[in-house]
Amino acid sequence: MPSDITPAPTNFQHHEWGPRLVSALAKILCTAAAAVALLLLFVILGYMVWKGIGGLHWSFFTNLPLEEPMGMRNCIVGTVILAAIASLIGVPIGMLCGIYLAEYSPKGWSTAVIRLTLDVLAGTPTILFGVVVYQIVVVRPQNYNGWVGHISLWAHRVQSWLGITNGYSGWAGGLALALIMVPIIARATEEMLRLVPLSHREASAGLGASKAETLWRVVLPTAKAGIITGIMLAIARVAGETAPLFFTAFGNDTMVYNPNRQMPSLTEQIYNYSQSDDPHWRAQAWTASLVLVSMVLVFSAAVRIATRKRRIRTH
Amino acid sequence: MSEPTNRSSIASGSHPRHRFFRGVLDRLTIGLSMGGVVMMFGILLLIFAVLLNGAWMAIGHIGWKFFTTSTWNPVPGMDKYGVLAFAYGTAVTTFIALLLAVPLSIGCAVFITRLAPPWLAAPVSFLLELLAAIPSVVYGLWGAFVMSPWLQTHFEMWMWKALRNIKWIPVGHYPGHRTEYFPANLVHGGPSGSDFLAGGLILTIMILPIITAITRDVLQQFPEELEQGAYGLGATWWQTTRLALTYCRVGIFGAAVLGMARAIGETMAVVMVIGNTDRISSSLFAGGQTMAGVFVNEFLEADHPIYLSAMMYVALTLLVSALLTNLAARVLLNRIAPS
Repeated sequence: MPSDITPAPTNFQHHEWGPRLVSALAKILCTAAAAVALLLLFVILGYMVWKGIGGLHWSFFTNLPLEEPMGMRNCIVGTVILAAIASLIGVPIGMLCGIYLAEYSPKGWSTAVIRLTLDVLAGTPTILFGVVVYQIVVVRPQNYNGWVGHISLWAHRVQSWLGITNGYSGWAGGLALALIMVPIIARATEEMLRLVPLSHREASAGLGASKAETLWRVVLPTAKAGIITGIMLAIARVAGETAPLFFTAFGNDTMVYNPNRQMPSLTEQIYNYSQSDDPHWRAQAWTASLVLVSMVLVFSAAVRIATRKRRIRTH
Repeated sequence: MSEPTNRSSIASGSHPRHRFFRGVLDRLTIGLSMGGVVMMFGILLLIFAVLLNGAWMAIGHIGWKFFTTSTWNPVPGMDKYGVLAFAYGTAVTTFIALLLAVPLSIGCAVFITRLAPPWLAAPVSFLLELLAAIPSVVYGLWGAFVMSPWLQTHFEMWMWKALRNIKWIPVGHYPGHRTEYFPANLVHGGPSGSDFLAGGLILTIMILPIITAITRDVLQQFPEELEQGAYGLGATWWQTTRLALTYCRVGIFGAAVLGMARAIGETMAVVMVIGNTDRISSSLFAGGQTMAGVFVNEFLEADHPIYLSAMMYVALTLLVSALLTNLAARVLLNRIAPS
């Protein structure tokens, strides 16, 4: 033990009352910040419940907007259909991207480029997805020239082949939402696959399984819960999207099941009602908000609680 | 038994036909997942291609003047387009939001990581994350029918009374040659409720959860040894916390920039409270418009080609500004947690 060790300066600042006062004040301020944030949450949710609960009759779920009493059955169904179309398109693409990133992508610049692309997609303002889908799917591709014209023409051909018409439609709305889902799901899938321990893969390989067999029969089942969580959260996220639907699904006052027609949605109807002066319509907007937020919050809270403990099944 | 031909068939001892299908499965999986990546690249290219193609005419006709003029006159024949008023609206609301949300979020994150007992920290953290799950149109509804009227009759009224006669620094002239003074100019026009301030406040609430969540995660990486060392040297709680905040400054800055990116791209909530007039005013109580919001109001009314093209030019501007901000945030956040 060296002998030239000097004892630490006994600088008992916490006995002086100046720094202690500052510290106490900072504690109060930080607590106040958290209190303010929580208060905002409760005020917003509380107002919504208070204003919306009055309109919460069975007729809200069974009637249409133009019936008396007013209901929003078509909007609820529309939101579900749009989310379903979005999942149908967005989940496979997103998952495949995630699988490639986690399993096949070589370390280095290609991974970096894919990540960058995902970040760019995730950071794109969602209204622009609506604008792009509007230009490709909704309007007829007659005004285009050059190579974008070619893309548009091919999109049109594929569209006709699939039986999808031009104009505002559930397909267009679902596609816009799907584009929003892709980066979220890709990130979630990649993250979950990377959490699967290497020992699992090694054990599988040791038994003679190939890379793909390991992926399908060991890695994906292990990460299943986490990936499903990611997908659920992405669905909850797009169910609350409004802006991209204005130029794509557009909305409808009647009951629609056919995705080739204009598709109503809760979010869009909330906006439409909020722009009116009629107190009944405004009340409907609050009730619709209550239903939408309940759907989204219950969905995401349930998913979070159910999978908080074990996102990855390791045994 | 025939001689095994490769190592994988030693272990599985499989029939050649089995091996064949396994090869197919391997190729199919890698091909499919590459297809997913190609589609993702396709989506990104499509976005840029469509926006550039749509904006091409406006870029040719208007050029750089688009970014230096604020006149927006879409009447056929007049056709004057400048993005400046919308960009100003986006900038002002984003600035207000950051000014309020960053300190508030840091306070929340410090409370969660360093102040609250564990039984309290977890639920508070969870509830603040729920704030991010509320759809933006619901924020807009609350903003338009609860916050705006309250702002108009209470907060802005109080602010107006406090500031309207305080004239410290001359900063310009109103139309009609009256001198514009700071800070009285901030409340010029009187309380309206639907204005830049309302837009900034609603954005504050919306970007709060993301900044809080990232700051919280970053603060949790503050090493235990440094904390013990600081306490050992006699530092108070706040002095230690300040050390933690300094240690995590890059991450917190990244969180703020990410919040900024969110604020730039946010559409519905802002459009419902900002008043939707396209002018530039130094007053916080003046109505305005943001780059994202102008689409909700005008995109489907763009009935002649140059108008539509100018809208796409706005879209391109919005895309580029959101992307640059996002990438800056990523660079900052990857520096602290390289994934």
